[in-house]
Amino acid sequence: MSAMALSVAVPDQPASRTPLAFGLLLPIALVNAIGFLAPVAYLLRMSFNESTGGGGLREAFTLASYLAFITDPFYLGLVARSIGFSLLITALTLVLSYPIALFIHRADAKWKSLLTIVTVSPLLVSAVVRTYGWMLILGDQGFVNGLLKNAGLIGAPLRLINNSTGVVIGLTEILMPYMVLALLAGFGRLDRSYEEAALSLGARPWTTFRRIVVPLTAPGIALGCLLCFVLAVSSFITPKLLGGGRVFLLATEIYDQAITLLNWPLAATMSIIVLVIFGLALVFYTRIVRALD
Amino acid sequence: MEIGRNSWGFTALVVVLFCFLLAPVVLVFPISFSNDSFLIFPPRSWGVKYYLALPSRPALMAAFQNSLLIAATVTALSLVIAVPASYALTRLEFRGRDYLASLFTAPLLLPTIVLGLAILLVFVRAGLLATFPGIVLAHLTITLPYALRVLATALTTLPASIEDAAASLGAPPFTVFRRVTLPMMTPGIVAASALSFLVSFDEVVISLFVVGPRLSTFPVEMFRYVETRTDPLIAAASVVLILGTIGCVLALERSIGLMGALGKRA
Amino acid sequence: MVAASTSFSEEGVPRIQSGIPDHLVLERLEKRYGDSVVVAALDLAVKQGEFIALLGPSGCGKTTTLRMTAGLVPASGGRIVIGGDDVTRLPPYRRDIGLVFQNYALFPHMTVAQNVAFGLEMRSVPKAEIAKRVAEALALVRLEPYGARRPRELSGGQQQRVALARALVIRPSLLLLDEPLSNLDAKLREEMRTEIRDIQRRLGITTVFVTHDQVEALSMCDRVAVMEGGRLIQFGTPFEIYERPRHPFIADFVGRTNKLSGTAGEAGFVAAGPLTLRAAETPPKGSAVTVMIRPHRIEIRPKRAVAADPRRNVVTGRIVRTTYVGDLFAYDVDIGPSTVQVEKPTTAGPQAFNQGDEVELEWAPTDTLVFRDGA
Repeated sequence: MSAMALSVAVPDQPASRTPLAFGLLLPIALVNAIGFLAPVAYLLRMSFNESTGGGGLREAFTLASYLAFITDPFYLGLVARSIGFSLLITALTLVLSYPIALFIHRADAKWKSLLTIVTVSPLLVSAVVRTYGWMLILGDQGFVNGLLKNAGLIGAPLRLINNSTGVVIGLTEILMPYMVLALLAGFGRLDRSYEEAALSLGARPWTTFRRIVVPLTAPGIALGCLLCFVLAVSSFITPKLLGGGRVFLLATEIYDQAITLLNWPLAATMSIIVLVIFGLALVFYTRIVRALD
Repeated sequence: MEIGRNSWGFTALVVVLFCFLLAPVVLVFPISFSNDSFLIFPPRSWGVKYYLALPSRPALMAAFQNSLLIAATVTALSLVIAVPASYALTRLEFRGRDYLASLFTAPLLLPTIVLGLAILLVFVRAGLLATFPGIVLAHLTITLPYALRVLATALTTLPASIEDAAASLGAPPFTVFRRVTLPMMTPGIVAASALSFLVSFDEVVISLFVVGPRLSTFPVEMFRYVETRTDPLIAAASVVLILGTIGCVLALERSIGLMGALGKRA
Repeated sequence: MVAASTSFSEEGVPRIQSGIPDHLVLERLEKRYGDSVVVAALDLAVKQGEFIALLGPSGCGKTTTLRMTAGLVPASGGRIVIGGDDVTRLPPYRRDIGLVFQNYALFPHMTVAQNVAFGLEMRSVPKAEIAKRVAEALALVRLEPYGARRPRELSGGQQQRVALARALVIRPSLLLLDEPLSNLDAKLREEMRTEIRDIQRRLGITTVFVTHDQVEALSMCDRVAVMEGGRLIQFGTPFEIYERPRHPFIADFVGRTNKLSGTAGEAGFVAAGPLTLRAAETPPKGSAVTVMIRPHRIEIRPKRAVAADPRRNVVTGRIVRTTYVGDLFAYDVDIGPSTVQVEKPTTAGPQAFNQGDEVELEWAPTDTLVFRDGA
């Protein structure tokens, strides 16, 4: 038996393996085709269809939806607001996440894992729950207003919900774990000895931060900003709930058009616009990363 | 000053930021014990009224059961589909392997709002809207990339030499897989299951597009409830969800260790 | 082997004249982490222009001492005085120091020239002068054409020289080097040793050099401070450290040594087994002692019938092993209580003795180092 075993050669690769690979990958390819490729193709096709109003649909190949979108100031405002909000949220998320990421990066191994897990744990909770949590913090009778009122600092409650303020605050916090993770990934280049060298050469702590720490962490910052920007631009649950139906962004409008107004071509067109924005952000990011190196 | 230690000011700032980060998830707990009719903080009356009210909300309860069933199905299917796929993508060589790997991870790159709409369009045509298989398929589209990622990592950290040793001892390929590879992949499989379950259970945006009046999921019903009403009921539901998630993660940690789950070697 | 650049008398007359002031003074310097004391009550005074080494094994506290001097680690107790100013509470950027790191710590996102210019920018030196001084500093370390390169494009040795230039260009009054040569290969280390020593002499900067390599310490420095377990054990010239160690740890750590156990006899005598040895200093009669003798301080010759000089140590023995180590012959000689090793340079002639030869060993009483056990 042993003599036989030793003379058995391990089968070689390519030709004989392809059918096997094919078989093993078939199920996932099917799901991918039905759940991803076909839908995306349909989406693209649908954006060229024409809506006949009241939920009616006419098969066509027109740019009507695109034209309607580009010429209507409401929709242009939608895009501008979505991009503007997302940029603001990205900037806020960066400012609030950077200290956390720096703290974790400098911590010793034991604390590092623990704090990273704590930072990432909110991601395991559904967006609905987290947004609901913000509703009870920012509500008229919520945590913040309750605290300020009991401290006697305000008379009337602050309007922090059902407006863009609530959306910005809530979305900033919800995206922070992503930013922290991206920053931590990019902090690899940062070594304590660089900061020490700068200090020994006469640089004060703030100068060291500005001239040494920030430039060296720039790749992580760029990645985090890209990630948060695209997540913010396409965010639905949080703007819908915290905006109280009064904040109009691309994602909320896509949903309304598709589900409530049944104007699928327009919804599809807006989805394509979102993807275009994604693409532009990615191009911008790639340029920046190239320039940094 | 010392570089290794942070100044008290910095540490205080970071503590405040962590509080901000965890605030919503934490504050849901006290509110769930409120007996008020509205969302008021701090609550005027305390109790477990809303916990007790949960079972008697038919829409929520039905949705909860649906979500459990769907998530379980999605998890099982994710494993059955992703284990062979991850094996093919890591252990076999063939043309276009890297492209396929990217393709199968691509669904995660699309925003859920866009993917949800796109899936809706296809489901309408295929008659899958508001059906159990339809929802399962929609969830699979996003759980499979996660499962694939976790399993592929688990496989790449597994030394192939052990499988080669088994083969050289006379074991045919499938036996090697069954008796050697699969058992060694167990931590990855457990992690992929937990991840798939949580992702499916919590999935809300895509679900919004593919559920129907008689077949809904728990997050969707929570969303609908919060859209129209502001009372602490959802706080109680949220606490149940959070505790369930923590339980899931702890079970994961206990059985295989969290680092093992992420494919890292100690 | 000790490479002395100047000759010393038996007592080791220091090169530095005593009229020169102290530039760096550490007074009862201490560092505690919780219950563990990493540096204990350290007193050290370095003269202006002196080049000293902090020498010791890993964990002896030498790096911590350096980092406290630089201000990167706050002292738990004691004082640090640089140029007459008490800097103990000052942060690094307010101390007049230049620091060279073990891993060079060159800023990866800046060119070589920008790295060197950094310290000058911090001191608000005008642009034109910065350019001039950067060029001078790079010329000093022979790296002029590399100004526009990035650190990752340079070899380890080149990076080290840039780090040196960066620290020197700001003309600090104190230069601190934290094991700067540890990451270089042996050949490069030797070259850099000479280069650093030359530059230091030329500029006359007070310099503290941390190392665990005793050859480095002895060959580069005016004085060597040996540390162990957080304490300063001896601070003296290379000759004093090597030939007149005041602690058995130093005799063991620095250079090679022979060890014998014995008991102190009358003043000037030590009994080691059946042998009676003469020593220059001995503890009280009856104390248990360890006797150490440097292998190269022992003369070896064929056994003679001539009477031995009673003022020196003469013992007979038989060679049990001979070893050839390139620049030395090492003879292991059995003298009774144990075996001692005798070294003779190969330049003194071909191998004179073989295994089994009966030989006579002679050495001076001042080279019999006697340390009381338990000291």
